[in-house]
Amino acid sequence: MEMKRNSLSLFLWTLVITLLISVTMSIYPTFIENQSRIFGMLNLIPKGVLQFKGFSDLNDLLSPMGFYAANNVIYMMVLGSIYAIVLASGILLKEEYNKTAEYLLTRPITRSEIFLTKLAVVAGNVFLLNIITSLAGFIATGLAGNEIIRLRPFLIISIYTFLLNMFFAATGLFISTLIKRSRPVTTFSIGLVLILYFIYTLSKISESVSKLGYLSPFTYVDQKVVSPDYSLAPGNLAYFIGISFLLIAISYRLYLHRDIYV
Amino acid sequence: MFNFNPIATGIESDFMNEPVIDIEDLSKFYGKARGIDHINLDVHAGEIFGFIGPNGAGKSTTIRILMSLIFPTSGSAKIMGMDVIRQAKEIKRKVGYIPSDANAYQWMGVNEFLDYCLRFHRIQDGRKRVDELAKLFELDLTRKISDLSMGNKKKVSIIQSLLHNPGLLIMDEPTTGLDPLMQSVLFELLRTENRNGLTIFFSSHHLSEVQMLCKRVAIIKEGNIIRVEDIDTLRKKQLKKVFIELDEPVDIETFNISGAENLSLVPGNKISLLFSGNISDLIKALSGKRIKDLTIEEPSLEEIFMHYYKV
Repeated sequence: MEMKRNSLSLFLWTLVITLLISVTMSIYPTFIENQSRIFGMLNLIPKGVLQFKGFSDLNDLLSPMGFYAANNVIYMMVLGSIYAIVLASGILLKEEYNKTAEYLLTRPITRSEIFLTKLAVVAGNVFLLNIITSLAGFIATGLAGNEIIRLRPFLIISIYTFLLNMFFAATGLFISTLIKRSRPVTTFSIGLVLILYFIYTLSKISESVSKLGYLSPFTYVDQKVVSPDYSLAPGNLAYFIGISFLLIAISYRLYLHRDIYV
Repeated sequence: MFNFNPIATGIESDFMNEPVIDIEDLSKFYGKARGIDHINLDVHAGEIFGFIGPNGAGKSTTIRILMSLIFPTSGSAKIMGMDVIRQAKEIKRKVGYIPSDANAYQWMGVNEFLDYCLRFHRIQDGRKRVDELAKLFELDLTRKISDLSMGNKKKVSIIQSLLHNPGLLIMDEPTTGLDPLMQSVLFELLRTENRNGLTIFFSSHHLSEVQMLCKRVAIIKEGNIIRVEDIDTLRKKQLKKVFIELDEPVDIETFNISGAENLSLVPGNKISLLFSGNISDLIKALSGKRIKDLTIEEPSLEEIFMHYYKV
C-alpha cells in the first residue's frame, strides 16, 4: 500500500531526471562538434559556477562517460538526493501531520514493523529511481557517443549515486524522528542537500576552505574519486554504509520511544 | 444483530476477575507541562464507562497512553491484564479505537480503507460486517474519503473500530460531526454491543451523552481524577437546584448559608441557586419571607459537573 501511495511521486521524479539526462546527453554530439568554441565560452564562466554545475575539469567533458558523469552529479546525485531525503523525512511524519497515525499505530502492528516497512519502501523507491535513471543514462550515453559504453564505470557511478541517495534517505529518517511535533520538514530537507552540495562546491573552488569539503557527502562521490580507475574506494564505501546504518539505527531507536502527536 | 464471541475478543475467564482497564499512578508530563498527574482508574468487564472533563483536562492524554501512541512519564496501565507498552500489539488485536479526529487516508476509497483495516486483523470474512454497519449508518462505501463530510468520516471511523469484534472499545469524542439521528443510531449500536459483552470507555465533554449511555463516570480536572461515581449516585447527590420567587425584593444575604452556591439574581424578585447543605437550613433562612414560588429539582449533570470543578 505504501509503495502505491508513493508511486506517483516516484514516477514524476524518475521522469524528470530521465528527461534531463536524455536531453543533456542529446547535446553531446553538438558539444563535440563545437568543442573549441564552447570551451572558449566555458573558460569565461567563473570556475565556481562550472564546479557547481559539476564540471571540475573541462577535459572530462570530451568523452561521453565524462560528459555523462559531470551531468550525473547535478541530476542524479543532487536531484536524487532531494527526492530521497524528502521521501524519507516525510514517510513517518506525514502519518502524524495528516492525523492518520491514530489509525496506523492503533492496529495490531509493532512500531518496529512500521519503521522497517517504511524503511523498505524508502529503499525500494530510491533503488527504483536509481535503476531507471541509470538505465536511461546508459542508453542515452551510448546513443550520444555512438559507441559501446563500458558497463563497469556505469555501475560504479550508479552504486555511488545509490549510496549517496540512501545516505540522504537515512538523514531524512533521522531528522523526522528528531522533530518533536508533527510538522512538515520538506523545506529543511531540501535546504540541507543544497547546503551540503554548496559546501562541496566551495571546498573545490577555494583552497582556504578545502577542508570544509570533508563535511559534505558529495566530496566522497566526486567524479575525481570515480573517474581515475572507476573503482569503489573502500573508505568511501565504509563512510556511506557506516553513517547511513548508524543514522537508521538511531532513528529506529528514537521511533520506538517517540510520542506520537496528532 | 451483531454476533459477538467473548472468547474471540479476549474477554476470557482469566480476565474476568481483573479490570479490563487498570491504570495505576499514571503520569504524563510534557517537559514541565502537566498532561495527567498520578491518576488511578479501573474499568470492569461489561461496563460502559464515561470519562468526562473539559478540554485540556487530560482525557486524550490518558487515551493516547492506553493506545500506546505516547509513553507515560511514570506509573502503569494495563488492558485485559496486558501492559500497554510491552504488549501493545496483543492489546490492539482486542481493542477498537475511535479517535477524536476522524482523518483516514484521504486518497483511499471507503471500501479500500475498511479492507485495509481488516487486513491488519487477518479477517477474511469481514465484508458482511462492513456491509451491515455501513447500512446501519447509511454510509456510501463507494465514495472517496476525501469527498466525505466530517460526519461521514466519523461513521467510517466508528465502523473500522468494530470490524474485528473487539472486547474493549475506546472512544474519544465519538459523536463529533454526527447528526442527532446518527448519534442515536450509534448509542443504540453501543448498547447492543455492550449487552453482547463489549466493554466501552467513552470520553466526552458532553455530559448529556455520558448520562444517556454510561453506568459509571470518572471526572478529570487538570490532570487529576477528582471523582469516580455511578451515574445514578452522582445524580442523587445532595446537590439540588433551587428556584425561589419572593413577593418582596430579594436580599442576597439571606442565602449566605452553608451549602448555597451559584447564587443568581433574576429580575422579578427571583433567585436561583445550587444547594448541597441541610435543606432545613434553607427553609429556616426563608422563614418570614413572602414566598411566591419555590421549586427544588435535580440539577443537570452539567451543573453537578461544574459543582465538582469548584471543589
